[in-house]
Amino acid sequence: MELEDIVIEGSHKNFFTPSVNFNAKTGICELSGESFLEDTQEFYKPLVDWLEEYTSKIKKPIAFIIKLTYFNTSTSRCILDLLNVLKDYEDEGGDVTVNWHYDENDSDMEEDIEDYMIDTGLTINIIPF
Amino acid sequence: MEKVNDKYDFSLYEYHNLLHQNILVSYKGPIDERIMTVIGDNIEIVTNDSTDKARSKIFKIFMELAQNVWLYSAESCTTLSGRRLGMGTLVIGEFGDSYTFVTGNVVRNTDIEPVIEKCEIINSLDRDSLREYRREQRRLAKDGKNKNSGNIGLIQVALTAESPLDIELTPVSDEESFFSIAVKIKKSNSK
Repeated sequence: MELEDIVIEGSHKNFFTPSVNFNAKTGICELSGESFLEDTQEFYKPLVDWLEEYTSKIKKPIAFIIKLTYFNTSTSRCILDLLNVLKDYEDEGGDVTVNWHYDENDSDMEEDIEDYMIDTGLTINIIPF
Repeated sequence: MEKVNDKYDFSLYEYHNLLHQNILVSYKGPIDERIMTVIGDNIEIVTNDSTDKARSKIFKIFMELAQNVWLYSAESCTTLSGRRLGMGTLVIGEFGDSYTFVTGNVVRNTDIEPVIEKCEIINSLDRDSLREYRREQRRLAKDGKNKNSGNIGLIQVALTAESPLDIELTPVSDEESFFSIAVKIKKSNSK
């Protein structure tokens, strides 16, 4: 059964839903916007499952692009889950690129990205805008 | 204290005076995402003379501490639709070149000790060690069921504020106390 793309349009209401675009054909996976959700696990688990299925069944290159301007600490745990799947794939020989775009004035975000690199062992391209 | 007004038992003038000096926003009551939106908007308006960076920090700190009150306060109410909302108090004040952000809520004495310990650990660490502590706690947090996510929030607050967590615990009964956390954020926070 073919892996379907995930496309979620972000929104900023009382909760903040990020925009998601995971493309099974191109292997380009983008997570952007802001993340503050009522049930963080419920939102991110399908994304983690999708990455696990892509990396175990499709096994092509994957480019993971993060452009989150805000995420709460509950989300930060889920981001770690996503990156861990990518790291496992890389360890098995998968072609993984992770690009994290951030506001160049946001030194807190820059530190956080560095910490994700330390934690996962992934090389994350830190790209200021 | 004498009754100032015999029409009602509460002096709004005294309350106004208490809050008037240096307090920009104050709120006491239940917290959910809708209330957070309104308070968040208010905070944005009253802090418009500070840098973008400082406002961004205040916003991030507000989001974590407000949600902690919502989820963990021992004092709560239930909406008509059955949602449980934690209740607490939230104040942002302006003192010299800094903002002070404080949240407080009732806690059960049996529950609060590990939180106090976590705050003391947080306050004892330098920035690099605090980042390491956050990495460690993030790894430990499992699924959505972990009790630690409130604590990762506290680590994040200390990192964002670049200042210690000023905590206070005041007993209100045999079983409960009032717990508050205050942080200072410099107005002209720049790189």
